[in-house]
Amino acid sequence: MRAYLTTLVWGLKSICVSLWVTLRYLFTPAITVQYPEEKRVQPLRTLNRHVLTVDTLTGTLKCTACNLCAVVCPTRCIELTGHGNGKERRADTFFIDHNLCMYCNLCVEVCPFDAITMWTRIDELSAYTRSGLVYDQPTMTATTFYPSPMTPERPAGVPERVGGARS
Amino acid sequence: MSLLANRFEPNVLTHSLDWLVNWARKSSPWPMTFGLACCAIEMMATGASRFDLDRLGAGVFRPSPRQSDVMIVAGTVTEKMAPRIKTLYEQMPDPKWVIAMGACAISGGPFYYDGYHVVKGVDLVIPVDVYVPGCPPTPEALIYGVLTLQAQIMKTTLAKRPEG
Repeated sequence: MRAYLTTLVWGLKSICVSLWVTLRYLFTPAITVQYPEEKRVQPLRTLNRHVLTVDTLTGTLKCTACNLCAVVCPTRCIELTGHGNGKERRADTFFIDHNLCMYCNLCVEVCPFDAITMWTRIDELSAYTRSGLVYDQPTMTATTFYPSPMTPERPAGVPERVGGARS
Repeated sequence: MSLLANRFEPNVLTHSLDWLVNWARKSSPWPMTFGLACCAIEMMATGASRFDLDRLGAGVFRPSPRQSDVMIVAGTVTEKMAPRIKTLYEQMPDPKWVIAMGACAISGGPFYYDGYHVVKGVDLVIPVDVYVPGCPPTPEALIYGVLTLQAQIMKTTLAKRPEG
């Protein structure tokens, strides 16, 4: 009888000890990010949707349509055309097919003019059709300052908002 | 469904019933436990406590297609897996929805041009409702895809239904 009661007490104690591992989380704050209302601040170098950066002095795109990003892209998802020669060359159309993009950042690393960046924290991209995920130049033109590998922080004197097609 | 479909003009009764039924459907889109590649890791992270897909009612991952409403195609759809995906989709009861998660499921992604073994988009096999780009998409992006799907569910109507 005594052995039975001892076993019972020890069993109850072990249950309480193991349940305490779970129960103590009742007294800690929840770690759940309430996503649609509350957004997690992603790290600076998170790779998200591309943005074509804008020269703050002239208000035009920095892109010179050199086609390097389209050539280096492993999934061949960038398609662009341009006009002009030399330093006057500018992009006419610029399409990035996010059906194909694998977010490797190679287009950003190869760009000699820091004209494209993926450190944008724009990740709400769902669409009902595949054509809704092909982004064109007006959609991707920057309207605010976006950090890039050359300018991780906003330099002094650069306004936060710059010229762009869409707000 | 078939009792109501295409028998009424839209009126206040069908609209109220639509709202109620759609609200019930969008509040419990149970996904199928079904992952194909690395996107499934992000899908698991979305279902875990940090992002908690249960807040949207979509966190009850069912082990059987007979019990699930949403198929989250998370990962590379190979030619070998495509007939299985079609079978699983056909085993799901109506109403059913499909989320294509990640570049591979949407279009083949990195394998679109050079892959010999990957289906160029799961929408060649089964109809897709929402496309979530990313490689892989962040948990926020998948939750946004589920929200997009819920917005689409709220637009459906019982009274008007295409034939077939």
